[in-house]
Order: sequence, then structure tokens, then C-alpha cells
Amino acid sequence: MTITPQTATVGDTLPPLTFGPISRTTLALYAGASGDHNPIHIDIDFARKAGMDDVFAHGMLSMAQLGRLVTNWAGQDKVTSLSTRFSALTPVGAIITCTGEVTEQLIHEGAPHLRVRLSATLADGTQTLKGEALIRAA
Amino acid sequence: MGLFNRDTAGQTSPSTSVTLERGAMTFFAETIGETNPIHFDLEAARAAGHPDIMATATYAVVVGTMAGKDLTRRGKPDMLALIGADMRYLLHGTEQYSYHGPMFAGDTVDVETEVTGFADAKGGKLEIATLTQRITHPTRGLLVEARRDLIHRLG
Repeated sequence: MTITPQTATVGDTLPPLTFGPISRTTLALYAGASGDHNPIHIDIDFARKAGMDDVFAHGMLSMAQLGRLVTNWAGQDKVTSLSTRFSALTPVGAIITCTGEVTEQLIHEGAPHLRVRLSATLADGTQTLKGEALIRAA
Repeated sequence: MGLFNRDTAGQTSPSTSVTLERGAMTFFAETIGETNPIHFDLEAARAAGHPDIMATATYAVVVGTMAGKDLTRRGKPDMLALIGADMRYLLHGTEQYSYHGPMFAGDTVDVETEVTGFADAKGGKLEIATLTQRITHPTRGLLVEARRDLIHRLG
């Protein structure tokens, strides 16, 4: 049975989502689409001068996937908040898996909500984003 | 110690207007792999009862960036310049959104950014700047409040 924000309880998981492989082309397009032109994500010469081996993905490209995970499940109008900590860099070529698990049913500003723990991980298990969403349950 | 200009704590950027454009929003939605057509297909958005395509969940960061570029074009420092961010060492630490209402293509919103404060972590190896950004519609009020930590890796 498909769970919904109305029926979900603690321990339920959201349909997972994968994104990638994240190519250099994806990073160039994300730089253009987002307006984030920080060269550390698109210019390997700049990245090397800054002491990195290579460019790496915008953290916000991965957060966009956490956003898709929760809005495709609950609808944007049900999402009260979305937050994340960027805990590891996402390398070029990565395939990220995004997951969500209901950890609490609570009342937030007078309305029933679900607290959902969100995660983005690389294929080797490295957690790159540690996030949370509050989703209206009714 | 540190690279950020900590004297800017408590300062607020000049309020800037940003108009959300359907083409730019569609390009963003496609780039992130969005599959819900209310974010890129006008007909689908209208069929769902929306006036135009709806911004995706993290589009607030794009609106914030556009506001910064608008300041730069007008000869004023954007937030990164104001706080003295050094792009060679800059990392994104956290990003938080509180949603108060949807943003649609065609909306002209006001963006205001506040330097909330500065902190050190990991024995000075990390230097953290916290920014708070409010995206407000002239009639619908506050739409999104964004809070983000930007980090200089110094160690």
C-alpha cells in the first residue's frame, strides 16, 4: 500500500529517488540554471589552484533532489520546511540516492505534521546530505 | 583570524526586486530532473489550479542569487562580497527553508538578506557565516525564509 502524508506513521519510508551520474555537463547546466557560477564547480583549473583534485558538484543540486523527494510525495503545499547539512562533497560521476523516513508525528503551529529525516548518499555509502522536512499531515 | 568581514554582522542588504521568469524556471526544473509538470508545463500548472508554473522547493536559492546579481549590476556589493567570501575556500554548510506560500512564474518578489552572524568551528579550521534571506510578495506577504551557513575551510 502506498503511504501518504495522511496515513504515514513513524518508521515509514518515502519512495526513494536516485539522480546521476552527475557529469561535468550537469554541473555546467546547473551553474547556468541556478546562477551559481562559483568556478570551483565548473573550472578544473580554478579547483586545482584552490587545492582540490577536481571540481565537485554543487551541494544545492543534491538538495534539489531532497526537494523533489518530499514534494513529489507530499506536494509543495504540504511542505512547511526543508533543511539540510552538507556533510561531504559530491564528486563528478556520482550517483546519489535520496531517502526519507518519518521519525515523528507532531503538532507544529497548531497543525499535525510529520518530521521526515532525509539523506543523500553516494554509491559507496558516504552520506553527503543530512536533511529534514516538516510535512503537513492533514 | 578568519577571512570573513565580521564587521558586517547585523547588516541587511538593500531590498531588491526579482521577477520570476517562466523560461528560467523551466530550465532549472529540467536541470534538476524535475518530473512534476506543474514546475515546467504551463498547461499542467493551470490544470492544477495554479496561475502559472510553480517554483521548485529549492528555487529560493536561485531567487537569492538573482537578487545578488541585481545588486552587483547596480554597483552595490552582493552578499558574498559584503561578507568577504573567498571563493577558493568557500563551502556550503547548511541550507534551511521555511515555506509560507508558493512562488509562481510572473511574480515580482522582494528579497532582503541579513548577515545573521559569524562563528568558528573545529578549532578555527572552519569559519562560518550565517545569512537569513526573506522573499516577500507585495500582496501575498512572506513566501520563503531561507537561512544558510557558508563556510571557509581554513585548515
